[in-house]
Amino acid sequence: MLSIASSELIQIFRNRLVLITSFIIPVAICVFFVRQHETFATILSLGYIAAIVMFTAAAFGLYATAVTTLASRRQNLFLKRLRSTAVDDAGILAGLLLPVVVLALVQMTAILTALAVVAGGPANVVLLVVAVLATLAMMIGLALATAGLTNSPEHAQVTTLPVTVGVIAVATWVGVSGTEDLTLLKRLLPGGSATELTMNAWNGGVAVTESLALLAPTLGWVVVAVALATRLFRWEPRR
Amino acid sequence: MVALTGGRESRCHGCMSNTPVIEVERLNLTYGDFHAVKDLSFEVRRGELYALLGTNGAGKTSTLETIEGHRRPTSGAVRVFGRSPQDRRAVRPRMGVMLQESGFSPDLTVRESVGLVGRLSRRTDDVDRLLDLVDLTDRAGRKVSQLSGGEKRRLDFATAVYGTPELIFLDEPTTGLDIQSRDAVWETVDRVRENGATIVLTTHYLEEAQQRADRIGLMHQGTFHREGTVSELTRTLPAVIRFSLPAPAPSLPLQAVVDADGKVMVETFALQEDLHLLLRWAQEHSVELRGLEAGATRLDDVFRAISS
Repeated sequence: MLSIASSELIQIFRNRLVLITSFIIPVAICVFFVRQHETFATILSLGYIAAIVMFTAAAFGLYATAVTTLASRRQNLFLKRLRSTAVDDAGILAGLLLPVVVLALVQMTAILTALAVVAGGPANVVLLVVAVLATLAMMIGLALATAGLTNSPEHAQVTTLPVTVGVIAVATWVGVSGTEDLTLLKRLLPGGSATELTMNAWNGGVAVTESLALLAPTLGWVVVAVALATRLFRWEPRR
Repeated sequence: MVALTGGRESRCHGCMSNTPVIEVERLNLTYGDFHAVKDLSFEVRRGELYALLGTNGAGKTSTLETIEGHRRPTSGAVRVFGRSPQDRRAVRPRMGVMLQESGFSPDLTVRESVGLVGRLSRRTDDVDRLLDLVDLTDRAGRKVSQLSGGEKRRLDFATAVYGTPELIFLDEPTTGLDIQSRDAVWETVDRVRENGATIVLTTHYLEEAQQRADRIGLMHQGTFHREGTVSELTRTLPAVIRFSLPAPAPSLPLQAVVDADGKVMVETFALQEDLHLLLRWAQEHSVELRGLEAGATRLDDVFRAISS
């Protein structure tokens, strides 16, 4: 698995387009939010900024990159090549996804740390870590499911749009309007409960047990996404 | 001691045995309504070079990919080294696979690609030695995307023989290679066979199969049309003697037909005797057999017979 992961890392750093679209652009967006934190904090809250930068990194840096990577490796038969070796399917997927997960985690950690330094830290760091990890798990699951519907890296530009735009829109909706109205709908949408959890972790003022209950919908999305991926994921291009 | 198999000299010195390395029993593969492989059964024995040949769409690739563990049978059983080919940890370290299409990441270098596949196959070898073997030493630091088609085939071959596995699948190994590269590939195959490796080959170059295969499975429409050694397969079709006769000519001592080009064609299962009889008749009657051609049945003839 580590051999596959290190080869993936090499490929990411050799492919400038992937490096720019997946890591530079999300970081640039996040830097904008952190720089404008006073404006956003006045209108909304620092918790919202934390949630939106987390989802920007997760959607572009992790989800879209993972889908593109898997579609590309499938299209050039690299997945088939890896399946000709002694590594099992789980090991192959873990090796392929580990670098993008680690890079997304580094992105999120760096940007949230920057936000904490310039604007003041979160009320509950542990809860924030839980929110970040749950979000990463959900986005990986969704990436595996989406990769099953994606024929090529070019096709990924289309297939990743609904989830990428969707989670950022949901995070913004929850961040702007809260969850007092349409509570169930907002929490059940992908990213809704994770946004609320992140805001609770950063802003404080909500009991930890109450916040932890928000993990359930996010983990539910992980289960749904993995179930979909099991049905949809293909190792070889369609003939 | 040189083993003789099917009228040809085996390159495997005393290492062929009846122990099956691959066992296929009543294999069926369907894709929706399409029955790609029908009730196929065969064995590949340790140390032999088994060629799986067939017409386009005959089911070769489906069969091969099931044996390699890329597909699950719809019904029937496949065992490699006595185990399911899906049992990758047990089976894959013992087998090397050369895919029909490259399957390498374009952003990795040649050296990185060979090293990665080798490591993941849990075998050990010297990457530099392998690159030298396939004449890619000067391309070692280049990205795979910068290689020509033939160089990619050689790279693929290098990963298949990495660590000298016991069983090697060669899917169209010489397609797109120049003559020197082809010779180098077959030299290496001969060498790994001397170490007892079993080879499963698919190729469209029938002369390669004719020269090298111990046994051949000839597939057509999802199942074996014929299976056996080259001589067993070719002996099922008559050899042909062709010539032109000046008119008028005395009646021939053998049954013959005249083909579309006006040439006399004699089909025979006793080429040497009938050729001798024909030449003696021509001498006795002072008849010139113009453009005389006589040849034993080739694999191409068997192949054409099943596909027509």
